[in-house]
Amino acid sequence: MRVTVMCLRNLLRRRFRTSLCIFGVSLATIFIVAVGATTTNYTVVIREMNIFFSGDVVVVAEGAMVIQAFPVAGGNLPVSVVEKVQQVNGVKTAVPMLVRFGYQFETVIQLAPTNVSVGIPPGNWSVLVGNTPLKPGGNWPSPDLGKKEVVVGSSLAKQYDLTVGSEVKMENTNLTVAGILDTRSALLSRSLILPLELAQRLYYGHTMWIGNMVVAQPEEGVTEKEVTDRIEAEILGVEALTTDERNEIVEPLLQDIETWSLGISSVLYLLGMVLVTTVAMINVSERRRDFATLDAIGAPRSSIFRIVVTETTLIGLLGGLAGILLGSIAAILIASFYTNIPLSMFFFDLFNIISPFFMIKILASTVAVSCVAGVIPAIAASRMNISEVLRSEY
Amino acid sequence: MIAKTQELTRMYRLGASVIVAVNKVNLEVKEAAFVSIVGPSGSGKTTLLNLIGLNDRPTSGKVFFKSEDTSLLTDKERRKIRLQNIGFVFQTFNLLPTLTALENVELPLALAKVPPKLQREKAIQLLEAVGLSDRLQHRPKELSSGEMQRVAIARALANNPCLILADEPTGELDSETGYEITKLLLSLCRKHKTTVVVATHDERVAKASDVKYSIRDGMIT
Ligand SMILES: Nc1ncnc2c1ncn2[C@@H]1O[C@H](COP(=O)(O)OP(=O)(O)OP(=O)(O)O)[C@@H](O)[C@H]1O
Ligand SMILES: [Mg+2]
Repeated sequence: MRVTVMCLRNLLRRRFRTSLCIFGVSLATIFIVAVGATTTNYTVVIREMNIFFSGDVVVVAEGAMVIQAFPVAGGNLPVSVVEKVQQVNGVKTAVPMLVRFGYQFETVIQLAPTNVSVGIPPGNWSVLVGNTPLKPGGNWPSPDLGKKEVVVGSSLAKQYDLTVGSEVKMENTNLTVAGILDTRSALLSRSLILPLELAQRLYYGHTMWIGNMVVAQPEEGVTEKEVTDRIEAEILGVEALTTDERNEIVEPLLQDIETWSLGISSVLYLLGMVLVTTVAMINVSERRRDFATLDAIGAPRSSIFRIVVTETTLIGLLGGLAGILLGSIAAILIASFYTNIPLSMFFFDLFNIISPFFMIKILASTVAVSCVAGVIPAIAASRMNISEVLRSEY
Repeated sequence: MIAKTQELTRMYRLGASVIVAVNKVNLEVKEAAFVSIVGPSGSGKTTLLNLIGLNDRPTSGKVFFKSEDTSLLTDKERRKIRLQNIGFVFQTFNLLPTLTALENVELPLALAKVPPKLQREKAIQLLEAVGLSDRLQHRPKELSSGEMQRVAIARALANNPCLILADEPTGELDSETGYEITKLLLSLCRKHKTTVVVATHDERVAKASDVKYSIRDGMIT
């Protein structure tokens, strides 16, 4: 007999209970997927930010809050700082930058930064973007401030339908898109890159502040640590951070996020398991006579065991599939809500938000958990004996 | 000789009191015989059949199956004997409700790892033999009691057992159907030279048997 067919029929016979149980499992899976996908994306973005300026020293105003390589809040630096950093012994180049998170195109309030604008002295683009190319037909912004040119990341371009020559409005000023960055980096694809002076005029209205960070590249043979120490000793009111120090700031945070995510998932898996075990236990005790009959006609324990475990595994499989489907939709809704990127765009990107590997991993875990959930009921079923069961029916 | 019991005793402990359901029973069941066990309710018929059928272990004494001492067998070996050599017919039929008549008969064959094609052939043949060739796809709840018991008999015969144990197989049936079922069971067993042990209240069944044991308070009289 095909055990699976038989088990399906057993489950269908108790349609309401089975559906409820599958619903419960899928609810747990929805949360596991949504929480997992959201935190994974979050940590990936933050980890990725650390690729920037690796090997360089980042100088920010004292007290500024730095997440990975970028100051997300805190003071501005006066023009003189660039000169001073440049003059510190062992510094090869000092590139000032004006970084702003959460710039909005529209008047919609957003809960998390959805884009980042970076002002850089023309010609120093590669300090930020490395060797990321522009899409064909684009150019880096002209140093000529009158042209008001900007380069935008691919995701922004896609979202707002921008091409070379399009206009974008920033701080009530119309800028012209000169090029589009061809990148999959989460940060760069959401960035607007423009000449530093243009950014200064847009944000400050003057050029006395250079921005909020300076990237200092050490000379050959000089360590980041040495440069950092010298900068902090010689320049007042600044903080210099090596690559390692920048990592140390967020790593515990990221680990916390991951631990919480894992903890939440574990609790949800456990809840799912308790639910499946309970339902399976009820199913088994309702069918005591059936299992005792199987026992009497000589069914091996393993066969009886397999029937129960197959039933719970089927519940897990169905619940897991439904949960992953709905959970993916939930993750997209969450992502879309927090980034203000239209839903329709996200659906094309489904496998980027939730990797197929992640989906398979969750399905496998759900199936494994529900398989384990069947063990205790299966043992109970395989112990039923006709001489006891028929009597205790009464 | 198919089965033999030796000073077979089964006691149940209920709190402080001890109930001796089967008390030092010695009996022998010969090959191809039709044996009936009669006795009032509570006399120990079911307990005795469960012991002979290796569904239960005695408190003391022994059950021999084909001259093999079954007290030495493991649970797995006892299951194997039940599956391949013993067929059970229950008073309450005990068909699996989610399986069709055909699948219920295929079940012991599947458990004995008979190839699927042979399972089907054999099951159809058995259901024909019990007169249910037009009920193959019916679920138990779509069958009458008499039909259910016929399916159960077909199931009991599936693996060509040498012993059939029937515990009041006609207990839930009206006397006419019960008689039909008994005749069917008998004729099939005669045909296949299968040994049958029936526990029954039914005098007609007892009369038809080759050997009749009377049991009272767990003792053969
Ligand atoms: N699991 C048990 N626990 C306690 N006592 C039991 C148990 N099983 C059987 N008994 C007792 O053993 C005695 C014999 O029971 P058994 O079921 O074998 O009788 P029976 O002859 O089959 O009766 P009936 O004709 O009503 O089916 C009864 O007194 C019963 O109360
Ligand atoms: Mg009885």
